[in-house]
Amino acid sequence: VKRRPPLRDEDLFALLDELETDGPTVVSSVRQPAALKKALRVAVELGLDANANDATVQAVRDRLEAFAQRRALDAHYAAHPGARPSLAEVAQAAAELDGDPLAGEPALIRRAAKEIVAFRPGATGDDVLVYAAGLRSRASA
Amino acid sequence: VTAPAARVVLDNEAVQALSDVAHSKHRRVLAFFEVVNQRSGRRRQPMTILVPVAVRIEARWDRRAPSAASLNRISRARDVALDGSRADRSAELRAATGVSVVDATVAQAAEASTGPAAILTSDTADLRRLATLLDGDVRVVRL
Repeated sequence: VKRRPPLRDEDLFALLDELETDGPTVVSSVRQPAALKKALRVAVELGLDANANDATVQAVRDRLEAFAQRRALDAHYAAHPGARPSLAEVAQAAAELDGDPLAGEPALIRRAAKEIVAFRPGATGDDVLVYAAGLRSRASA
Repeated sequence: VTAPAARVVLDNEAVQALSDVAHSKHRRVLAFFEVVNQRSGRRRQPMTILVPVAVRIEARWDRRAPSAASLNRISRARDVALDGSRADRSAELRAATGVSVVDATVAQAAEASTGPAAILTSDTADLRRLATLLDGDVRVVRL
């Protein structure tokens, strides 16, 4: 019996990179909730994408890109543990990207990041910002 | 609070910082990539990283080079090609401000992207000057 070689991250990245060029396409059927199909049709009518096919392909591609990037980031941190930004640093970056006034309060962000992990271990930078905004409004009340 | 950024445009130093583990801003630039990844992976509006091709040339980022493999994978950055109309707009911005060719293409890429865009740069003075001339929501973030 011929066994398939184990798939590697390299295979995923190579295939995603192929999407940058106009490669061949295939037709495939996907079982999906009927309501999802109808919602997609409505969203396309409202301007989501040119057609349902483009919308579906883009959504799947976005998910795969995020997954692949996550794998790459985790591999990088495994090789270079000191490179991993702290939760507070990620939250600070999120605030700066969004033009959020909290960006000017790094001490508050650090405090929020420290406190939130006690009850939400998987908190994201955005979770920290919501929590920090709560701390600030409580302080000003 | 402004709308969340949907696109992040890299300038040369952002690329340099990402590609060199010993760079003083390496960890900071990774924090921005974490935001992009967290938002894209949580079924929120996906964020996209863009790199104008002129930035790739300035940063000597050849995607085919084995040394670029890590940069390609971590960034998942999409190229912004420079066609005739983009070159015209970049030239117009450069003429109005006297900034470098690369900075003009960075600003043009941010302006042409869909949704609010953030430019990651160490050269905030020139790019903030450019940003005042751009249409749409473009913010400049110091690396």
